Amino acid sequence: MKLIEILKVALAAIWAHKLRSALTLLGMIVGVTAFVTVVSLIQGFNVYIDEKIAGIGAKSFSIQRFNPFEDFKDTDTIAAAQRRNKELTLDDYEYLKERATLIAKLGAKARGTPSQIKRNDQVLDDVFVVGATANTSDIENRNIENGRFFSDTEADGAARVAYIGADIATKLFPAGNPIGGEIDIRGLPYRVLGVEAVKGTVFGIPQDSFVVIPLKTYQLDFGPLIRQRSLYFTATSKTDQGFSDAVEEARFLMRARRKLGSNEKDNFGIVTPDAITGLRDRIFGSVFIVAIAVPGIALIVGAIVIMNIMLVSVTERTKEIGIRKSLGARQRDILKQFLFESATMATIGGAVGVFIAWIVGKVVTQVFFQTYLSVGAVVIAIAVAGGFGIMAGLFPAWKAARLDPIEALRAET
Amino acid sequence: MTEATIATSQTSAGVVAKPNLVSADGKVQVLIAMQNIWKTYDMGAEKVHALHGVSFEVKRGEYLAITGPSGSGKSTLMNLIGCLDTPSQGDYWLNGKNVSEMDDDELARIRNQEVGFVFQTFNLLARATALHNVELPLIYGGIPSAKRHEMAKQALTEVDLVDRMMHRPNELSGGQRQRVAIARALVNHPSILLADEPTGALDTATSYDIMNLFEKLYEDGNTIILVTHERDIAARARRIISIRDGLIEKDEQIK
Ligand SMILES: Nc1ncnc2c1ncn2[C@@H]1O[C@H](COP(=O)(O)OP(=O)(O)O)[C@@H](O)[C@H]1O
Ligand SMILES: [Mg+2]
Repeated sequence: MKLIEILKVALAAIWAHKLRSALTLLGMIVGVTAFVTVVSLIQGFNVYIDEKIAGIGAKSFSIQRFNPFEDFKDTDTIAAAQRRNKELTLDDYEYLKERATLIAKLGAKARGTPSQIKRNDQVLDDVFVVGATANTSDIENRNIENGRFFSDTEADGAARVAYIGADIATKLFPAGNPIGGEIDIRGLPYRVLGVEAVKGTVFGIPQDSFVVIPLKTYQLDFGPLIRQRSLYFTATSKTDQGFSDAVEEARFLMRARRKLGSNEKDNFGIVTPDAITGLRDRIFGSVFIVAIAVPGIALIVGAIVIMNIMLVSVTERTKEIGIRKSLGARQRDILKQFLFESATMATIGGAVGVFIAWIVGKVVTQVFFQTYLSVGAVVIAIAVAGGFGIMAGLFPAWKAARLDPIEALRAET
Repeated sequence: MTEATIATSQTSAGVVAKPNLVSADGKVQVLIAMQNIWKTYDMGAEKVHALHGVSFEVKRGEYLAITGPSGSGKSTLMNLIGCLDTPSQGDYWLNGKNVSEMDDDELARIRNQEVGFVFQTFNLLARATALHNVELPLIYGGIPSAKRHEMAKQALTEVDLVDRMMHRPNELSGGQRQRVAIARALVNHPSILLADEPTGALDTATSYDIMNLFEKLYEDGNTIILVTHERDIAARARRIISIRDGLIEKDEQIK
């Protein structure tokens, strides 16, 4: 008997019990949907983070008061870090800048303050205003759409100048060119020097609503660079190969400046892209296990349900099996028929699961962030579903094939 | 030698050889040779002997009725002839081959190629059209679909049902269903047409229609074996074997 014939018989049998087949496949569909959805979310998120890191400049690192990966594990470590770690100061900045030999650029920034910004009768609330040194523009690979970032001279002179996000530009300057225009931040006038290219949103959070002003201006107009305006440094290494040496040099200099003994912990934090991707991999490692385990369980449950239904189906169709045998069907023909039926059913379940996951991915892409439905995940999901279908079908199909033709013919249905 | 043949040799007190099935011109003439066939059902506590020591031959082109009261072993014998079942003891030669020694695949092939079954309850697939039902033996015979269609249509034409070929069994009358079953039995041009109480579920008028169809098939040269407990139906055949309690009581040529 040819495969195409067996497939036709299988499809006809599945079609004859549409509702039952659909219910049977629920577990399979849930499993595959979960698997494909999680994989495409993770892949999308990975790409996002990679882009993000590339945007920051893959070869930059920051020195800050706390190490988020070490110090923020639980309330005890937070408390200990708060006692141990001191705020970074501009003197620290000068100290590092003078002594570091492997660092190409060292910039300083202060954490931002949500502020009210006005121009004429346009008012924007809770816009993030940060202070930074002029060189952070290069360190962070800023994509300037229009105008320029502020210069060292402007920064050193504590000029009231601002570099703004695309959103601020369109809202405050709906008609004209923002460059050279004046905006009001917390009651003080600033001149707009440049506008950043549109970044869009991430997790629904707009990325284009910010203002960067010179660090010194920030200190004067907003207050000392501590606590919520905590100072931190960003740095790039001279060469890509020398990156980890540059990080170690910075660590050594900071420890020397703070006179730490060899057995004392760092009382500052250094964050590298590796630490970020490392954290991501740690998080997604466990997410991945869940991504495999949950659909795995659903698939196993789904397979058991399929096996059950196939057993019921064999019992219900004993007469049919007898008829087929009386007309010359061999054991292997009957075996194949039922195996195909459960494999086809499971594969359809897999395909439906992939389809639902695709829709979920579309929605997530619309609302949150880009997702990726990889061909690999689709192939694996459908193949695994089909494989589970075959496994679930083996025993029922074997039972059907082994039926005695006379006994089978004698069955009522 | 199988256990069955040993037992046979003992009862007949001689050596059982392959029966002389071939005529002078070299053509196989004896289609069926049953030699001391036993069928025993092991019911745990007791053994039911449905057949005990049945021997007979059927030649190509015969029209034979097997008759007898209910429970006499007619269906058991029919299932053995059609290779749906195997004897507990004895030798069964079909078309020159010893069926008793065949494995499951070979039996399936015999059922597919050599035998056409017609059952009392039609045994059609309820979900399939008449055409598809008739195509089933051809599917298992590996006939490609275009040829299959052609052959199935031809068989339905022979039973005068080609205009109903897209109907499902529940859209057909009893007589029409049985004609579909007969078309299905004949579609592969088998050596024997086996019918177990083919009129048992039909009214008298329809029964006569079916019997007329058998008559025509017999005249076309088909070998027909018909099981029935009804005397007047059996009387339509050319030879009648009467069995009682699993033994042949009478084997008579009529007409
Ligand atoms: N599968 C079976 N198990 C046990 N006994 C059976 C079985 N099939 C038939 N028999 C017994 O064998 C005898 C002959 O049955 P059967 O061939 O069906 O008779 P008929 O067709 O002449 O009415 C009966 O006594 C019946 O009970
Ligand atoms: Mg009977």
